[in-house]
Amino acid sequence: MDFLNPVLNGFVVVLEPTNLLYCLIGVVIGMLIGVLPGLGPAATIAILLPLTYNVEPVTAIIMLAGIFYGAQYGGTITSVLLRLPGEASSVVTVFDGYQMAKQGKAGTALGLAAIGSFIGGTASIIGLTFLAPVVASFALDFGPAEYSALALLGILLVATISNGAKTKALIAAAVGLLLATVGRDVFTGESRFTFGSLNLADGIDFVPIAMGLFGLGEILYNLEERHRAAKAPSKVTNVWPSKADLKQASGAITRGSVLGFLLGILPGGGATIASMASYAMEKKRAKQPERFGKGAPEGVAGPETANNAAATSSFIPLLTLGIPANATMALMFGALLIQGVTPGPQLVEQHPDLFWGVVNSMYIGNILLLIMSLPLVGLFVKILRVRAAILAPVTALITLLGAYTINNSMFDVTLVVVFGIVGYLMKKFGFEPGPLVLAFVLGSLLESSLRRSLLVFGGDPLGFFSRPISAALLIAFVLVAVLPGIRPLLAKRKTAATGVDDTTKIKETV
Amino acid sequence: MTHFPLRRTMFTAASAITLFALTACGNVAGGATNSAKFPNGPVNLAVGQAPGGSTDLIARAISEGASKSLGTPMPVVNKPGANGALATKEVAAKAADGQNLVLINASLITITPLAVAAAEAVNIDDFDIVAGLSQDDYVLVASPASGFKTIKDVVGAGRSVTFGTAGVGTGSQLAQAVLFKQAQVKGTDVPFDSGKPALTAVLGNQVEMATVQLGEAMSQIQAGKVVPLLVFSEERNSFLPDTPTAKESGYDVPVAQYRAIAAPKGTPQDVKDKLLAAVQDTFKSDAYKDFNKKNLLTPKEISGAEVVTQWKDYAAKYKALIEKYDISLSGKK
Repeated sequence: MDFLNPVLNGFVVVLEPTNLLYCLIGVVIGMLIGVLPGLGPAATIAILLPLTYNVEPVTAIIMLAGIFYGAQYGGTITSVLLRLPGEASSVVTVFDGYQMAKQGKAGTALGLAAIGSFIGGTASIIGLTFLAPVVASFALDFGPAEYSALALLGILLVATISNGAKTKALIAAAVGLLLATVGRDVFTGESRFTFGSLNLADGIDFVPIAMGLFGLGEILYNLEERHRAAKAPSKVTNVWPSKADLKQASGAITRGSVLGFLLGILPGGGATIASMASYAMEKKRAKQPERFGKGAPEGVAGPETANNAAATSSFIPLLTLGIPANATMALMFGALLIQGVTPGPQLVEQHPDLFWGVVNSMYIGNILLLIMSLPLVGLFVKILRVRAAILAPVTALITLLGAYTINNSMFDVTLVVVFGIVGYLMKKFGFEPGPLVLAFVLGSLLESSLRRSLLVFGGDPLGFFSRPISAALLIAFVLVAVLPGIRPLLAKRKTAATGVDDTTKIKETV
Repeated sequence: MTHFPLRRTMFTAASAITLFALTACGNVAGGATNSAKFPNGPVNLAVGQAPGGSTDLIARAISEGASKSLGTPMPVVNKPGANGALATKEVAAKAADGQNLVLINASLITITPLAVAAAEAVNIDDFDIVAGLSQDDYVLVASPASGFKTIKDVVGAGRSVTFGTAGVGTGSQLAQAVLFKQAQVKGTDVPFDSGKPALTAVLGNQVEMATVQLGEAMSQIQAGKVVPLLVFSEERNSFLPDTPTAKESGYDVPVAQYRAIAAPKGTPQDVKDKLLAAVQDTFKSDAYKDFNKKNLLTPKEISGAEVVTQWKDYAAKYKALIEKYDISLSGKK
């Protein structure tokens, strides 16, 4: 079993005391910010990026990953107890979770969510373990042509699938693409949009953009909100769900695992969409859909499983192809780059300790979270008592200090402030910063790969179709681009043929 | 990557000593810069590249040895940007008291100006060079699938070839552009972001050849995954003794990466002497010698004056070469 050797070595890496400690720190921070509404995992990772600069790459990513999936657990707690979703991915949990709490079943809801999260997360790690080496075995077949096709598909999916207004997502993505062109042209040495500044000669760094848009932007935006005093949370008793509850939820947990895993892999997908899709699916499948919204255990178990499964599986495109599936993964991408590691098909082979160390740390992290989320719920709810007036300036200060330490550059600090204001304005006017950041990351990849492939093909664009992987990806691109246009037609024909059931199914799975 | 924690301790130590130095200065009336007091607090060594690359590693090896001799910390400050022009220009503008040094790559002086706007180029006359350090050789490698075993195979192939470079304005690009012009081989120059992705492209046969630094390619050469065709140094590289030089094969294209330590122009002679002595102590240490060997670097520990003449000669030579063969490094042929 040669294949398992690196996997086992990964456990050795995780079990190093430093890595265990950082894993714990990561999931605790994740849990905390999951509880706090407003500051999401993307913002937290952006703010903490510079802190990871002085530790080993594997340790850094273990911690950042912990923040990400830890937040999925934390977000549930406030949804259930206070009807206050800590994370966007826990919004649907409010519907039934809070109702269950009102019926005195808060413990059951939290227990189901924690168990579902654990199963969903673990199922995804196993999927990741087996899928990643398969993708990585094609590593050297990925040349410039494949990367251009992949980046193209990624940008399209990000712009079309992301939640919120499509036009605004496209506008944000276009701005991201534009920002990606700043700097010295890699192919001609010509300076583009640098205004003669040497600081811009290499283009704008990804980290200050992310720290500004996600970190500072979020902090500023949250200041606008009036903070209510923390309500007394519902009493939590008996977190271990009864056999009947578990039985009722087991189907939802299984379906949530699969659905979340699949939606997490998709570029533009991720935890939020997965939780919503799972809720919709459970409601559709239920024999008595009217129970939903009144404290149905499946309504908590399904989405909570799905968001964790998706959070974990969204690492797959990043770690195997170097394509971030969502904004948080774009930040992980930045974190790896800071560490001198370029995520891509070569990662598994070149840095097996890093890859398997991170993947296996998720098992440990999920166990830690399961332990923490059951007995320590009360403790985490207390964090809500910290006033925003104290929290905001402290986080803003950490952000700016951190921005300076990356390149010892005041220019970066200025960039963070500028993008912080931009991020605030974007939020205020309903633009999501996600598509901008993703398009920024994928934009430079797209441009350089496209021009590189055209050089290799001698300027013949048909060359893209002469290679199987790039051809397949481009066909997928065309399908995704055309599908929304023809879907109503398809649906009409199907309805005519087989009845209403099928149309709803399409909506669910896409 | 073990140097990260080290750097942090050095920073802490540095700030502690700065504090101490500041309080000490308070007692001296005037407090004007006096070269007799050098080093007066930590000596910063700026690097225009990101941590972890070969330039950065060299800076850290030097700082480790020299800080001991100087008796003061020598923190390495990374400030990547514009091929290193950003950090270099910043140090040039600092006070010429020897407290701020920079590690310069020769290509920034000799090759980059051929590809970028004049305003972005760095002038070696803005510096006092303390000492030359080492030579990092470029090797031309081919993918096994290309069928090329020697440079003769490439010349005899009689077709257009593709080759990857480490980017516009790098030695990798210049060396190949000139070589293939001299050999009258038609080829497409495919720039990558750095040497590593260019090498990966050769491994996957996305491009047939690439020129990268020896340290980047050595493990793949030993594994037989890429074939070394020639090195661009004037003499054979001691780490790759069986690979011919471009010169032996009949091509006049001597390209290598050299590195030197520089201080702002006008640094007092006695300060430069102290710095030079500290750097030379490092050269003699076994730790530094091992470092060079491990990273496949050939020592080229020459005086500052020699660095200036040699680099200026190379700059002139490259300029003449690209004019002679009508080569444009910026792809506007």
